[in-house]
Amino acid sequence: MKVKKLSLLFMLMVALMWFFVACGDADEETTTDNGEDSGETSDENVTYHYFIGGSGRDVHTNETVIGEIFEEQTGVNFQVEYLVGDLNERIGVMLAGGTYPDVVVGAGTEDMLVDAGAFIPLNDLLEEHGPNILEMYGEYLDRFTYPDGNIYYIPFGAEINEYQPMANIDQGAFWIQRGVLKEYDYPEVKTLDEYFDLITRYADENPEIDGMTTVPFTGIGHDTNFFRISNAPNHLAGYPNDGGIMIDMETHEASVYADSEHAKRYLEKLNELNAEGYLDQEMFVMNNDDYLAKLSSGRVLGFFDYGWAFGDARNALQEANDPDKEFMALPIVFDEDIKDQYIDPPAFVQNRGTGITVNAENPERIIQYWDNMVKEENQRLIMWGIEGEHYEVNDEGRYYRTEEQIELVRPQSFQEEFGMTTFSWDWPRINGTFSDGNSIEPRRQPEVATLEYREGDREYLDAYGIDTFSEIFSLPDDRPWYPAWSANIAPGSDADIFEENSDQLLKRHYPRIVLADPSSFEAEWDTFVEAYRSLNVDAYEEFFTRTVEERLNGNWQFGEE
Amino acid sequence: MSLLRRLAGKRRGIDDLIFDSVNILLMLILVVVMLYPMLNTLAISLNDATDTVRGGLHILPRSFTTHNYTHVFNEAQVIRAGITSVLRTVVGTGLGVFASAMVAYTISRPHFILKRFTTLAFVLTMYMNAGLIPTYLLNRELGLIGSFWVYILPTLIGVFNLIVIRSFIEGLPETIFESARMDGAGEFVQFFKIALPLAVPVIATVSLFVAVGQWNQWFDVFIYNSSIPELSTLQYELMKVLQSTNTSGGGAADSFADSLGGQVEMVTPQSVRAAMTVVVSVPIIMVYPFLQKYFVKGLTLGGVKG
Amino acid sequence: MAQPVNPIEVKERIKYKGKHKVNLQRPKKGPKYFFRKCKEQKELLWMSVPFLIWLFIFKYLPLGGWVMAFQNFRPARGFLDQEWAGFDNFRFLFGSERFLEIMRNTLAMSIINLVLGFVTAVTLAVLLNELRNITFKRVVQTISYMPHFLSWVVVAGLVSTALSMDDGIINTVLLNLGIIDTPVMWLGVGHYFWGIIGASDVWKSVGWNSIIYLAAMTMIDQEQYEAAEIDGASRMQRIWYITLPGIKPVVVILLIMNIGYILESGFEAQYLLMNSMNMDFAENLDIYVLRYGISMANFSLATAAGMFKTIISFIFLFGANKIAEKLGEARLF
Repeated sequence: MKVKKLSLLFMLMVALMWFFVACGDADEETTTDNGEDSGETSDENVTYHYFIGGSGRDVHTNETVIGEIFEEQTGVNFQVEYLVGDLNERIGVMLAGGTYPDVVVGAGTEDMLVDAGAFIPLNDLLEEHGPNILEMYGEYLDRFTYPDGNIYYIPFGAEINEYQPMANIDQGAFWIQRGVLKEYDYPEVKTLDEYFDLITRYADENPEIDGMTTVPFTGIGHDTNFFRISNAPNHLAGYPNDGGIMIDMETHEASVYADSEHAKRYLEKLNELNAEGYLDQEMFVMNNDDYLAKLSSGRVLGFFDYGWAFGDARNALQEANDPDKEFMALPIVFDEDIKDQYIDPPAFVQNRGTGITVNAENPERIIQYWDNMVKEENQRLIMWGIEGEHYEVNDEGRYYRTEEQIELVRPQSFQEEFGMTTFSWDWPRINGTFSDGNSIEPRRQPEVATLEYREGDREYLDAYGIDTFSEIFSLPDDRPWYPAWSANIAPGSDADIFEENSDQLLKRHYPRIVLADPSSFEAEWDTFVEAYRSLNVDAYEEFFTRTVEERLNGNWQFGEE
Repeated sequence: MSLLRRLAGKRRGIDDLIFDSVNILLMLILVVVMLYPMLNTLAISLNDATDTVRGGLHILPRSFTTHNYTHVFNEAQVIRAGITSVLRTVVGTGLGVFASAMVAYTISRPHFILKRFTTLAFVLTMYMNAGLIPTYLLNRELGLIGSFWVYILPTLIGVFNLIVIRSFIEGLPETIFESARMDGAGEFVQFFKIALPLAVPVIATVSLFVAVGQWNQWFDVFIYNSSIPELSTLQYELMKVLQSTNTSGGGAADSFADSLGGQVEMVTPQSVRAAMTVVVSVPIIMVYPFLQKYFVKGLTLGGVKG
Repeated sequence: MAQPVNPIEVKERIKYKGKHKVNLQRPKKGPKYFFRKCKEQKELLWMSVPFLIWLFIFKYLPLGGWVMAFQNFRPARGFLDQEWAGFDNFRFLFGSERFLEIMRNTLAMSIINLVLGFVTAVTLAVLLNELRNITFKRVVQTISYMPHFLSWVVVAGLVSTALSMDDGIINTVLLNLGIIDTPVMWLGVGHYFWGIIGASDVWKSVGWNSIIYLAAMTMIDQEQYEAAEIDGASRMQRIWYITLPGIKPVVVILLIMNIGYILESGFEAQYLLMNSMNMDFAENLDIYVLRYGISMANFSLATAAGMFKTIISFIFLFGANKIAEKLGEARLF
């Protein structure tokens, strides 16, 4: 009786819900009013709503110096909104409700947006209003043209002219406390064994640093960061960060490395270190704050990590004014004969970008704006600022910054007010060098980097006979498929689920393997391999092999169906 | 006889003394344990962000600065968002508690024909979640998106609060209502003149719950009104500041996106979060002591009965 | 034949007959009786029906969206244009080889939190209620619920610092007391995880949860205490025979409601304190759904999990209510 009534009620609800939804879909479409004037060649100022699925500080572009200049040039300005909560939820309701902002930077949800018909095709608009974009993105255009022949969004950072490596390492590396190098007279450290020998020797001689127990080797794998532990073997074997797979340079075959000999060799080494008491067991337990605190304490001798990931600790160490306690990145590999590939090859991430939605009126105004900003002089404005104010040009035509200018440009507040923060990413832009040979990004210009070095830094640069810290790293080899991780993995697809499963498995087993008694290392390792192989590894590898193959043939849109 | 009484009295006295001493001691320990996190947060919020990264901060800042607060307040929106927050808290609490109390009154009436139906209808919703998208679509159909009322209407009655109020009204002696009815009072009169005044302690409690819930809410702003600055709330603005401070961490994918020329001026998520916690929680913590006067023992019942 | 129109009489009958209550109110005597009642009680109906309509619109209508549990839902399409998936989403959920482990963790943490939460909050409320100095009482109470205003990120940060191996307060204290010889990696041992979560939860919410019981205590008739004091009852006796019975109805009602939340073991605390070494004990249903549902934009899976939770909740809710009824305690409905 009760059940019957309840189910009747439920059915009624479902019916009503559908009624609502069915009625709702009809009268949707373009309800927001942005361009007040729908005239063809309107010069009137319009405001568009620009949603970015990443983090940042909301701005109105014309409240920044650069944004004001661009508004004068084009009559367009943007209300920029960054993501606050969960991206999938936000995009989910956007798609369900059809309530799109005018421009959306999908940050990984581009496929969903295209699939939902949220983005308008840009081909004709680019043809008509985007000559500079077409020129700058030139050879890359194919990479983000969809199989249906349309371009739905514009990725960021098309590499033009020459590739410029970073002056400092912001990518993966084995880091070492500089004092250790100094102690042993700046030795060349190349292999993993040499690296650990140095660290353990120093730890033996200095069991305490500033009254605290020395931490010879640590790391971090908290939350979604386990790759900061598990990627190391890949780099040690001489591969760049292609994701969870290595791509063979000859056969272009993709293979996972989580259960490879490389991984085993690295974990065995960690296992040894642990048995001898040199490994920080908390590396599998710490959260990011604890980790940063540990690094900043000056008692950590070495660790593997990505440079961009521990900037806060680096700043804390710099502020402490003890240059010997800071860390230096080393291109460590397994064996002498392996060429290190820590530095990222030029990477064009074709499956992320900014697109115009069906809600935008007069989309050509947006294209015109983008086209204008991607010009070299405007890119220079965004990246470098104004000549004479924020940078200088020397007699050879090289850009540099004086010490005052470095100080002027450094604060976050300045970069925000000027508009550098806003426009330097998530908008169409270029990478590499300007046509006059200067780096597009100041941080890649050696002249800027060298000026930023302090006394303590120079000591080490001189000792190793280099100008910038990235010089001891090999330049990246040509990998025309790079980065493989930008493969089109649809959310919830088999590859996506494999990645999640594999991450879980690694998290669960790696600590056990490393912390095991050396006598049971092999057994733990075998257990892991068995569990890992029970996942659908082959399909995953095949997918990437195929992706690389397609990319080499010029098809960057290959994806799982 | 009198000796016995005295002894008994004395014994009770010692018991009392021990009880009180132990109790006070426990409470003092509690104070330390419960105050520590807040003081620690306060210390972090007043400490140089870079220095905080080193860890080891307890209840006093090591390198004093107000920069974290200026960073948080640097947003011009904070004042306007604060007003919206206050508005939604006041309106949401007022309407919500009133509605809850009214429904609670009806389902506390033993003779009410829809008593069980209403109670069950409300209670079951506590355990059913339609999910984000259907809810969003509903609110869109109702024209609530982009409106202030999306903060108020969908969460008007909290079932937990409803039930709590009901239990209290049920706890009131039925004789009071009976005598009112004798005097010809209808249900509305009984609700306003008897139930509400007598349930003041629970109304105060529930108001606190609703107010804190409204004040801390940011998710509905995010889903429904994130592109409308006029309807942004303090919590949401602060979430934005926090989110935009997330420099390290994040995915490897966009790594090369951040920072232009080397290092930048420091605020860390940790210190911004601390400042933000203080900014948000101090006003609402201050509300409680004002409510506490409604918790005086037996205030209401004694009055009526006497 | 005459119906008891006098509400007092009804109440009396309910009191003595207990479960016949429903029969008294249900239109056993047909719709005519029902409508007559409605007319009599139109004031009460005016007070409740508008909110029942509100409830229906805002809480029941969107449940139509549950159909997506049986679809491969893509947000851009209407509910009727979806690809049907049958029970695939449920199969994915229950078919996971770790499903049992996840359920074990969910239930264990939920029960620990439930029991610990109730006992500590009631105890705290009682102790606060016994404080004689009003100012001290108010100060202690205000301080006791302060952690409620800290986000889990902050609390989890403090917990993990306190449990740290090299200078964490817990290890330091235990070492000094000689209870342990070497520092323990608390967060690195799966077996400690549930306890850590329970303790953290108490730390964060005991003060806040006790507010409701303090409010309940204000409703206890002061004369009872005075009478008991004259009879020579000790403090403990007064607590046992007056205070606790006085708040029992509220405790029971809250208990029933919370038993319904048996699969809600919390999410943020687990997520933040979880790491690769304790994950076997940390991963609960919500975290699993986040991983394979929300973060993969799989709204269907999340909905299926939600439906599963609802069913379990109902079973526990009705069960608990029934037991309360059998024991003669206050019932939720």
